[in-house]
Order: sequence, then structure tokens, then C-alpha cells
Amino acid sequence: MRTKAAALLVALGAFIVAGHAAAHHSFAAEFDANSPIELTGVVTKVEWMNPHTFFYIDVEGENGEYQNWALELGSPNGLMRRGWTRDSLKVGDVVTVSGSRARDGSFKGNARSVVLANGKRLFNGQNEDS
Amino acid sequence: MRKRSTLAAAAAAALGLTSAVAQPPGDAAKAASAPTPRLPDGTVDLGGNGIWNLWWVTDFGRQLVGREDVPFLPWTRAMYEYNKSNNVAYDPQGFCLPPGGPRAFGTPYPAEIIQQNDRIVVIFEGGAHVWREIHMDGRELPDPDTLTPTYFGYSVGHWEGDTLVIETVGFNEKTWLNFGGYMHTDELRTIERITRPNRDTLHYEATLIDPGAYSEPWTIAWDIEWLEGAELAEYICQENNQFLIDLKDDFGMPFFQRPDPEEIWRSVWRTE
Repeated sequence: MRTKAAALLVALGAFIVAGHAAAHHSFAAEFDANSPIELTGVVTKVEWMNPHTFFYIDVEGENGEYQNWALELGSPNGLMRRGWTRDSLKVGDVVTVSGSRARDGSFKGNARSVVLANGKRLFNGQNEDS
Repeated sequence: MRKRSTLAAAAAAALGLTSAVAQPPGDAAKAASAPTPRLPDGTVDLGGNGIWNLWWVTDFGRQLVGREDVPFLPWTRAMYEYNKSNNVAYDPQGFCLPPGGPRAFGTPYPAEIIQQNDRIVVIFEGGAHVWREIHMDGRELPDPDTLTPTYFGYSVGHWEGDTLVIETVGFNEKTWLNFGGYMHTDELRTIERITRPNRDTLHYEATLIDPGAYSEPWTIAWDIEWLEGAELAEYICQENNQFLIDLKDDFGMPFFQRPDPEEIWRSVWRTE
């Protein structure tokens, strides 16, 4: 009984913490965990690269203009172990991104999780608490 | 045992996760394991059909053995505070340079330990895509003054019963001891003690001896989990390091100056 509960807690704990993997550099040097972003937009570009995957989305601003945001994810080897594939994000997909904004206030953020075009939420592999 | 892992796997699948998140092994993982695997001659087998799931050890101060605090010298304490104050922006590993010393075993992404008759080679997915070679042929540890200093140093190892003991000297000063911004000098020598108490656990321990940076030797330790059946992936950090391109120094100037093409042409062709 206890081991079953413990195993479930371990799995849930992993879900909540969303991992300590990845990040060759400090998240906090570049992004502000106190500056959360929640964006829905259309994917315009995907760069599946090391040390970070970048994807870009067009987000409609308040006045109808479009902002092109750059979102950072971890590297492919880490993402792959969290369910991502090269095809998870495709140009034209409508996605919702939760994460933290860049400290310099630009249209750039670190994505903590992304709801893909198929409705599935995938998590990044970076530690936000460093 | 099978029931526990099935439940955890089902929960993980339901929550959209695939494989294990790299974290320090929990007690649940330790409880259900197989005996330590051994080579035909009885030596502990540090390999097998799987990989070691290294997790990100961000603070050696939380992994201390037999003491409460890190024995900083004033300059290493000051550097630690400074590095903390800028969120470790100048960490060489952020420049995709490799981690020397115990940090390699506390750097994200898995590793494999490959044992041969006269050497042990550790290949790390992280750090990135780097390896360490430990000489196991009984040779003496060289005098560091005869060595060219390197990121990973020069390692010589031997077995003491079921403990792999590795001594390393000859470190350069181009690395940080850990992610948190602890510095070291080229006087650093390490003594690592690695055991595999059961199939799923690697116990890693390292004693750091660096009189140029710390007032006395100190020891850190952590456990690493085995991932049976998993394989290494490829991670090439230096491919597209945008963080470096945007990095500014303490005065707000680009850390790496990008040359102005116009200036280059002018200096080459001497036109105004």
C-alpha cells in the first residue's frame, strides 16, 4: 500500500517539478520567473537545435498588430525524453505557451510548457529555480 | 516490484510524461532493485544495458559529507557571492565548455561507464558530448607540474574491494567547480569513490583538495539512478549558443564583440 502511494507521489512530484534537466546556463540570468507569460499564437518558425530549441509564434497584440515572439526550449536530447519529437511543432500550428519573459523585456521567453495543436501539453526540460 | 513500477509508469503516461526525469534517486527507487552486477572475475560492473541518469547538482553546499558548510577562503567566498549576484552569467559551462572535476557527474544528461582491462572511459551526453579516461593499469599519478593542465585533469584509478577509487590532478583553471559559482585553482586534486550498491544505484563521492581555494579538504556525495534499457542521445552544445551572442558584461557591453564588417573591409583595403 505504502509503496504504491509513494510511487504515485514520485510520478506526481516529477510532473509538478517538471524536472531539473538541461540548461547549460542559468535560466535566471536571462529570464525572469516573476514575469510570467501565457501566449497563444501561430508557429512561424522552428529551430530544433542545441543547446536550445527555439520556436517563433505570431501573437495578436491589443491593437490588432502582430508580435513575433521567440520562445526557448531545452535541447532536443532532453525534450525527446519528455515526449517531444521533431514534428511536435510545425509552422502554422496554433499553440499556447506558458513560461517566463526575458529580463530585457523583449518579445522573448522561456517556455515551461506548450499546449500543442493536437491539444496535448508537453513540458520543457529546464530548471526555473536556478 | 513489478506492480509498483507499472503504477508509476501508468501515472507518468497519464500525465503525458515518457521517461524518468533526472532527479536524485528516491527511496522508492532504492527499495526495488537487483543485486550489484559483476564481471566474470568478480569486479563490480559499472555498465550494462542502460545508462546512468545524472541529475543537475546545482549546489555542492547541499551535498556535503561530514560538515555543514563549504570551507571557503575569502577569495572563493567573494567569488561565490559575485557569481550568485549575476545569476552565474559567466559560467564557462554556459559557454559550452566542459565541466572539470566532480561537476561532470552532476551535469545534466546521462552517462555511460565503459570498463576495459587497463582503463575506464566515462562518456557523458552532457557537458557536452565529452569523455573522461581513467587509467587502471597501475601507473603512478604524475606530478602535476609535469602535466599540461586540462579541463578534466589526469586520472588514475584502482579498486579497493567494491569501491572504484580515482585520483585526479592537472586541472586547468578554466572551469568552475560547480554550477553555483565555486572557483578552484590548478592545485586542485580530487579523490573520487564510486560504488554500485545495487543495480540501480551509483553512489558517487568526491573529496576536493585545493589549498589555493579552500581552507581544508571537503567531501561531497550523491546518488545516481540507473536507467535500464535506455541509451544516450546526442547533445552538441556549441551548435547555436544564442545565450553567448546576447551575453553582456557587468558594464552592459557585449561579452563577445561581434566585428563590424565595414571596419574589417576598411582595415584590409585602406579605403575611407
